[in-house]
Amino acid sequence: MTAMHTTEHKKRGAVASKDRARSGLPRSRPAISLSYVILFVGVAIALVPFLYVVSTSFKESTSLFSYPPDWIPSPIFWGNFESLFADHPFAQWTFNTLFVSGAVTALKLWFDSMAGYALAKMEFAGRRGVALLLLLSVAIPISALIIPMFFVVRYLGLLNTYWALILPPLANPLGIFMARSFIVGIPDDLEASARLDGASEFTIYRKIVLPLIRPGLVVLGMFTFMLQYTSFIWPLIAVQDSDRQVLAVGISGLQSAFLQDWGLLSAGMLAAAIPITVVFLLVQRAFVFNDLSGALKE
Amino acid sequence: MSAMSPRADVAVSLIQVAKSYGDVEVLQPFDLQVAEGEFVVLLGPSGCGKSTILKMIAGLEEVSHGEIHVAGELVNYVRPRDRDVAMVFQNYALYPHMSVRDNIAFPLTMSRRPRLKRGVIEARTVTAADIVDLTPYLDRKPAQLSGGQRQRVALARAIIRQPAVFLMDEPLSNLDALLRADMRTSLLEVHARIKKATLYVTHDQIEAMTMADRVVVLNAGRIQQIGRPRDLYTAPANTFVAQFIGSPRMPLHDLEVRDDGILHFADVTLTGDADVPLAPGASVTVGLRPSALRTTSSASACFVGEAKRRDYLGSDSYLEVDLGEGLSVVVRAEADAEVRPGDTVRVDADPGAIHVFDEAGARICGASVCRRER
Repeated sequence: MTAMHTTEHKKRGAVASKDRARSGLPRSRPAISLSYVILFVGVAIALVPFLYVVSTSFKESTSLFSYPPDWIPSPIFWGNFESLFADHPFAQWTFNTLFVSGAVTALKLWFDSMAGYALAKMEFAGRRGVALLLLLSVAIPISALIIPMFFVVRYLGLLNTYWALILPPLANPLGIFMARSFIVGIPDDLEASARLDGASEFTIYRKIVLPLIRPGLVVLGMFTFMLQYTSFIWPLIAVQDSDRQVLAVGISGLQSAFLQDWGLLSAGMLAAAIPITVVFLLVQRAFVFNDLSGALKE
Repeated sequence: MSAMSPRADVAVSLIQVAKSYGDVEVLQPFDLQVAEGEFVVLLGPSGCGKSTILKMIAGLEEVSHGEIHVAGELVNYVRPRDRDVAMVFQNYALYPHMSVRDNIAFPLTMSRRPRLKRGVIEARTVTAADIVDLTPYLDRKPAQLSGGQRQRVALARAIIRQPAVFLMDEPLSNLDALLRADMRTSLLEVHARIKKATLYVTHDQIEAMTMADRVVVLNAGRIQQIGRPRDLYTAPANTFVAQFIGSPRMPLHDLEVRDDGILHFADVTLTGDADVPLAPGASVTVGLRPSALRTTSSASACFVGEAKRRDYLGSDSYLEVDLGEGLSVVVRAEADAEVRPGDTVRVDADPGAIHVFDEAGARICGASVCRRER
């Protein structure tokens, strides 16, 4: 009888705690503490390397390997940053990276959204075939494409130019697929209505479709920009001229086989992270998702 | 060249128009002419092809067969924007990122020949908004409007184009009953004001009956009947129309005409119209319009039966009356009539209450009660 009671009691307790979790009511104190511990460990794993880079970039090379490590450098040493800008074309690399990433992002959003519109909304022979080919091409790893891409770019005489960095990433079909998936969600009646109202296909794309998929495009743009900003292998191969080089390759060149200046390297990494952080903060507001409320009957 | 040329006062003319998707025929060939200023309702259940007709006229669907003329011009190969038609969609299809003003003005801003000046566009926008009582809401976004207001924006966007023909695809179907009744009145007022040919799609027979000059009843891709609301009600062309129009639904009974040409229905004999005798031995379907049957206390009533069920509607009520032999009728009764299941009910039939259809469902004639046998 007592055992039954206990089991019953436990069952009720379990159900009650499930209900609490479902209803969003506060959970028990040990559960909260455990979740904080897990979160703290996660945050530490993510942040410690970054903090180590920040700390190292403000230290002289002589005090880098002291034990226990000095997390807060004293005194703060600016020499790594001075050397970065004085002895290396760091400003030029930053400009190159921002220019290339910006150009790739702008062109890619334009092409992806137009191709996505065609695949999502226009009727033409072979539409499914084209979509399937694009999907298959996503599966080809970049490493398998690098050598053919190099030959094409060399054949076109574009090695060591901005074009070598801008053109190849535009042919990435993943963006087309993302754009297509945003556009498929727009009700056909909106375009039909615009078409009846006299809008051309391009006007429908520009005035109806683009504003409605803007939040999606912002996400796609942000990912494209970040991917481009950190791209390494292709710029390393396509550009030899240091003045045309991008940040990722430039920074990796700060170390050599015989000399590892960790302070300089860390300063480079920290300085390189600043522009992308600023861009992210600026664009962050546009992440707020637009919706179609009011367009159609609910 | 078309086999038939549309008349001059005809705004829309469809000649042997049909639609199929591959081997699937969704609309069988039909003719339809809509006069200028006429309000024609396409009525039928879901999937009967009524919206497809509108889309073909608008140019949003290709025509598989036949000709469509708008304002006297063959438009089969004309782009939607050049067809001189405006459409109000089943979904409002408002541009959510634009204000009400920009939504209404959109067709004019798209107009290239002639390209309109901003002042002209603004004036016409304000006029169109005024017609549908939207002036105070011009600067709002669609999301900030109620369902009825959104529908009026869609209507204003159609009005501003000043088209030859309005196409409306179930524009009121998602509004609540009260708002729908208001919007019906508003739509009719707007129609009376602008007097343009209108094709209006609905599956709601009340909308069709109250709004239409003529109703086109469709079922399974085939036109069942075209006529004034009253004609559909009093002389339905077939059993589908008979049951689709009118509430409550007309009960149907399969019977056989006796060898002497007389039709027995419960304990009465029915005769057809004098000029349409019933063929001896023929299988027929008989339907009795509930609203044309009423309870009576007279001993000379047409039918006598037992009350089975009563539906109270407020203004009146409907009784299901069992006449025996597996036959029953639905009868209109006073709202406060004190009839309980099991009571004996006497029923009289108004002229035009009884309809006789052949085996295939096509109407043969009306019938009247000849005499009670017992």
